[in-house]
Amino acid sequence: MDPECSQLLPALCAALADPRQPVADDTCLEKLLDWFKTVTEAGSSLLLLEDSPCLVELLFQVPKAQGLSAGILSFSLHLAGVLAAQEDCFQYLQQGQVLPGLFGEAGPRGGAAWTAPTVRSGWIQGLRALTQHPSALRFLDDFGALDTIFSLQGDSSLFVASAAGQLLVHILDLCMRGPAGAQPGLQARDWPACAQRILGHIEESLCSTAAPRVTQALNVLSTTFGHCHSPWVQVLWVRLSPLVACLLEKDPVPAAHSLVDLLLSVARSPALSAEGGLWETLAQTLGHLSPTQAGPLALGVLKLQDCPQALRTQAFDILLQPLACILKATAEAPGPPGLPAEPACDSAVVDALLSSRSACVGLLCQTLAHLELLLPTPQRPSPWPQAALLGATVTVLQFCCGSAVPASDVGSRLCAILAGCVRAQRAALDFLGALSQGAGPQELVTQVFAVLLDYLTSPDSSPTVLRKAFQATLRWLLSSPQPSSCCDLDPHTQRFLGELLPVLQKRLCSPCWEVRDSGLEFLAQVTRSWAEVPELAEQLLQDPESYVRASAVTAVGLLSGRGLHAARGSPEHPGGPQKSLLLDLLHVLSADSEGFPRRAVMQVFTEWLRDGHSEVAEDTERFVARVLQAASQDLDWEVRAQGLELARVFLAQTLGPRGPDCPYAVAPPAAVPPCRLAQALRVLCRVRLFEFAFRALFDCDRAVAQKSCDLLLFLRDKAAPYNSPQGAGNGPDVASVEATLQRWQAGEQGQPLGPLEPEAAVAVLRAMDLEGLQGALAESSDHVERSPQSLLQDMLATAGILGDNEADCY
Amino acid sequence: MPEIRVTPLGAGQDVGRSCILVSIGGKNVMLDCGMHMGFNDDRRFPDFSYITRNGRLTDFLDCVIISHFHLDHCGALPYFSEMVGYDGPVYMTHPTQAICPILLEDYRKIAVDKKGEANFFTSQMIKDCMKKVVAVHLHQTVQVDEELQIKAYYAGHVLGAAMFQIKVGSESVVYTGDYNMTPDRHLGAAWIDKCRPTLLITESTYATTIRDSKRCRERDFLKKVHETVERGGKVLIPVFALGRAQELCILLETFWERMNLKAPIYFSTGLTEKANHYYKLFITWTNQKIRKTFVQRNMFEFKHIKAFDRAFADNPGPMVVFATPGMLHAGQSLQIFRKWAGNEKNMVIMPGYCVQGTVGHKILSGQRKLEMEGRQVLEVRMQVEYMSFSAHADAKGIMQLVGQAEPESVLLVHGEAKKMEFLKQKIEQEFRVSCYMPANGETVTLPTSPSIPVGISLGLLKREMAQGLLPDAKKPRLLHGTLIMKDSNFRLVSSEQALKELGLAEHQLRFTCRVHLHDTRKEQETAVRVYSHLKGLLKDHCVQHLPDGSVTVESILIQAAAHSEDPGTKVLLVSWTYQCRMKSWAATSRPCSRRVCPQPPAEAADGSGRAARGPVLYSRTQSVPRSSLCTCAAPAGHGLHLWGHHQCHMPAKWPVWAEKINNPWRPLHILFLLLGWDVHLQ
Repeated sequence: MDPECSQLLPALCAALADPRQPVADDTCLEKLLDWFKTVTEAGSSLLLLEDSPCLVELLFQVPKAQGLSAGILSFSLHLAGVLAAQEDCFQYLQQGQVLPGLFGEAGPRGGAAWTAPTVRSGWIQGLRALTQHPSALRFLDDFGALDTIFSLQGDSSLFVASAAGQLLVHILDLCMRGPAGAQPGLQARDWPACAQRILGHIEESLCSTAAPRVTQALNVLSTTFGHCHSPWVQVLWVRLSPLVACLLEKDPVPAAHSLVDLLLSVARSPALSAEGGLWETLAQTLGHLSPTQAGPLALGVLKLQDCPQALRTQAFDILLQPLACILKATAEAPGPPGLPAEPACDSAVVDALLSSRSACVGLLCQTLAHLELLLPTPQRPSPWPQAALLGATVTVLQFCCGSAVPASDVGSRLCAILAGCVRAQRAALDFLGALSQGAGPQELVTQVFAVLLDYLTSPDSSPTVLRKAFQATLRWLLSSPQPSSCCDLDPHTQRFLGELLPVLQKRLCSPCWEVRDSGLEFLAQVTRSWAEVPELAEQLLQDPESYVRASAVTAVGLLSGRGLHAARGSPEHPGGPQKSLLLDLLHVLSADSEGFPRRAVMQVFTEWLRDGHSEVAEDTERFVARVLQAASQDLDWEVRAQGLELARVFLAQTLGPRGPDCPYAVAPPAAVPPCRLAQALRVLCRVRLFEFAFRALFDCDRAVAQKSCDLLLFLRDKAAPYNSPQGAGNGPDVASVEATLQRWQAGEQGQPLGPLEPEAAVAVLRAMDLEGLQGALAESSDHVERSPQSLLQDMLATAGILGDNEADCY
Repeated sequence: MPEIRVTPLGAGQDVGRSCILVSIGGKNVMLDCGMHMGFNDDRRFPDFSYITRNGRLTDFLDCVIISHFHLDHCGALPYFSEMVGYDGPVYMTHPTQAICPILLEDYRKIAVDKKGEANFFTSQMIKDCMKKVVAVHLHQTVQVDEELQIKAYYAGHVLGAAMFQIKVGSESVVYTGDYNMTPDRHLGAAWIDKCRPTLLITESTYATTIRDSKRCRERDFLKKVHETVERGGKVLIPVFALGRAQELCILLETFWERMNLKAPIYFSTGLTEKANHYYKLFITWTNQKIRKTFVQRNMFEFKHIKAFDRAFADNPGPMVVFATPGMLHAGQSLQIFRKWAGNEKNMVIMPGYCVQGTVGHKILSGQRKLEMEGRQVLEVRMQVEYMSFSAHADAKGIMQLVGQAEPESVLLVHGEAKKMEFLKQKIEQEFRVSCYMPANGETVTLPTSPSIPVGISLGLLKREMAQGLLPDAKKPRLLHGTLIMKDSNFRLVSSEQALKELGLAEHQLRFTCRVHLHDTRKEQETAVRVYSHLKGLLKDHCVQHLPDGSVTVESILIQAAAHSEDPGTKVLLVSWTYQCRMKSWAATSRPCSRRVCPQPPAEAADGSGRAARGPVLYSRTQSVPRSSLCTCAAPAGHGLHLWGHHQCHMPAKWPVWAEKINNPWRPLHILFLLLGWDVHLQ
């Protein structure tokens, strides 16, 4: 702890213990606690207490003081726990009767303060912090803390209840770890008394008729099997698995969600991987749970590493059943193979699908999401019923838009339930997009494109559905074999594109900005591979919505980067359309009132420079000079930062790339031949890159300054071999440059720098303490205000005058 | 048992990161998704892990509703939707949708640019998040799905702020967000109709305060600015981009015009244009005065307020500058503050709250020597003033809103625990409704009654109409019929129709007890003795001796018979029918709230004047909504022998009781009398 903080601490402790001086809000107390955690992690807590006896006094006074806020009490409980985490400090506080006063019966546990959840939370968190050594376990036992923790598992506060459960797991783990070299026996009867009590409590809870108690026990067990991997967990499972299995005999199965979590946690535990009965329990559970409850378990089972094939098959069938029902509802003849056959199409699933709209949509969305999660994993079942899934997903989408033809009563009811359901549409489109990874029969792919086109065309599609439809379309288009040009596309895709373009055209004119933007994003993405060029993207550079203008910039920039604007050449544009686009984008950069389009322009220009865009290549120097000039005057920090990125690309092209980020990678010699270096520096001076970077170095926005500092450091290293004819720093220009830079640093950035010579630029560069600046810039802008000293000062300053700065809103 | 559950993840007994989970009719809704500016780590956002443990977020949550654009109400939204993974719909008003991204971008700039935080949401994420928004109009009922609907009401507070009613079936919750019950210079007052929600979740920032008139604060503000400018000083007003800044601009603009002042007023570049744009676009959301004068002059086209350039800060002479951000924690406002702090002629006016860890907080707590970067100390000589212009309802306003909406219960959020406690008591006393104030993480559970629509057969209705007056909402009446439950539907029909529909014959039950009397006389004589005995004892009751020799006491039949084995013993057969009837009475003042279980009244309201005594067949049922239903079961196995009533147009939530008219104790009493026991018939 630094001396300033040590000096402030006694006054602060006195203020905290004084009910007449309300201290600052709870965030301050939390930050103070953070600081104490840092201090105790770095050194001895006992020394801290010896150096600051005011802390012990505070912890001693707080439980006795009347009228103290619940926040202070909670803070003190937590702080005591943090300090007592070290055993010597624990003994010290024990001797002073501080800990019993806080955590024992005499403390807040028995008083009115206990009604405040924050106090109960502080009590739990304090115990959690101090339970790090055997003495702490004895302490818990002596003060009957376990019973309180058991009861807090059912606390009205989620935070307290959850923390109580976690504390039980922590205590159990600590008990079972035992002192070094003295592992408890593997028989539960040999376990320490504390562990046996917890075990007894869990057993009792599992047998309880009250569902919340069962849930609590299952949650504790899930956390235990998830975090503890010692051999004793095997004993625990052997002992408790019959009780868990008993839960399955109840109808309905209590706490099904927690039960699923527990079983998966057990199945994933490395300590229990060889346990045979588990697979049977899992199979039994899959059979007992309702389709909605069984879904997450089935997904979890399928993701397990070493799972018996029969169980995997059962789990996969459960996942597929809702989609099998969907297919069956429309199929007059047997559908594509792969989905569960007739008997497996469980009546429970049909009932769940038909019971209500929300149940149907919930089950379908869950199923689609689970399959989507499973699809990219290595544990994906094989064979994967790609065709059947495609068919089912397309059918769901057809049901939703009313184009499906139901073949049964179930189908008709599904049709009525799903018609216009946005939630099901979103989930199905997401999954359909994911299915693009695999192939499918041409007939189905045609259906996929047809249904996507239906959605893109439909006036009923909401903006969010349209966005998903665009994304799914993009994924299907990109998954098609990549042709060298549009003419090489297969006829189906060509036809689809032919139909898509008018739709896209229409969507780009939508009154809804979300739709225009999604359309442009689609266009920009699709052009990364190939596309026709809809000219109206360019028209959207004038869109009233800045998000859309930004997307338009990106789209036309990418189109132009791939030469797709070349076809637009016409006699009306003697300079060529690309030139006009460059001017258009420069105009956006200098004139658009919103930051997003200007940022997009800078990104496009950087890409153009990097890729050697033809227009840029015509006169790179002029291009860079113009862009940097525009960027330097921009009000948006991200535009200026992007300007530095463009400058970095230009530097790399002029002077050679930056060194590798990885210090172990082998890099080619970095030195640039002197003649080339001098020439390059002259170029940099001509495009006024130095001026741009120096100005950015003193930018009021920290990220810009930081980026510029990195750039100048790179430049200085590259320019190291450069010898100026007059010698470094001797020329008359250097002093004036430095004077200007000082003014810039003071915030007077209006002053121009004037034409700069390489000699002066390099001399100034060498004279600057760039490393020092880099260090300063690495600090957060509010590091002073965030320091512990500042926190203590603020808390002291606000003690008693809190009312003047009441929290209202931000 | 149906219930409404409310769990604040933020704003439970505090201010900041408002986020309230409501579960109503099986639907889960998140109200606001705010951040806490007092933290620099993950604690700034609500702890969403308590929701994610319920499975996939998008499956669990039906929608998110954002009340207004302040960061403590929307600041965590991009994090929640783009980083935590919520992919469902987000509802907010049109102005909120337009302004939210501006503030989120501003906030992102401070976090990423100034503080260098990594792992923060990007601009693209803000945009993607905004694309999930479904914008709503005021008073437009939006159907989220088949069962869940929401409706927005005007909340004042800031441009686009709204209160939301969330409704599933007959249950509803109103969430106020932040609101203001008094109009200010640019916005109107909050308003809600008498929607009688099951629960009103209201902010309670000023739970114990009766705020002075805003005019006084405005006068004070203008006086201070004027004095400073007059003596040649500079005034700095740190503000957030949109909201309070516009209100203060209108105030200064009008004052400058009236006083013909020449000192320049500046506003951070770019923001005025943007703000003006939105205020023009959403002119209908401003107050009446602005809307009226809009045709002649747009209040947001300021003549005296100009865009600020960094270099202006060094200009000599007086000036007023509005600069961002509002807590002096970074950027332009802090730069200007540093320049001007040393001069005692200058003034900084903090028009809102500042969190710890900001220069704003330091100067408001009276610190005058501030450590700056590089151990430099900045001495603050300029005057520091705090004037909260935040537009929240004060205690009076909150009470007014509760009175307006007439909720069945109230839940307080967004305030301090101690103050909430005071207001809670006041609300409970004045409105006689339950009031809750859960802390963060605490769940409040309100049991609710399901609304069960019951169809009434036309025949039954006609018959009832023929018997009496037309239905009247204010005069509940009994409607007798038989309730049929079939295919999850309820119908009240006449008993005859029920029997016909179900193809059943009517049965009548008689219960018979046998009493053995030692009596050697003939049966007829025994009957006569019994008649005389009862006649003497039960003077107020109708006791008859029938020609067939049996005796009746009202509907109870007594017959004497010979014992089959012992001629000296006679058997008395006492039999009675077991009928029961439903009975109801009207509560006296307001509809009963579900927390209080009312006691039976001293006298039944069926006009009989008889005290309602005896065992109650039904204890209090769930409160019964307008289309209500009560049933009374007959003895087991005779489901058709049902008597019930239906109260048409009955005001909501009347408690319903049942009473046995033919008290089952009565036959027993007669038996006791026959046996010579000393029992008084009640």
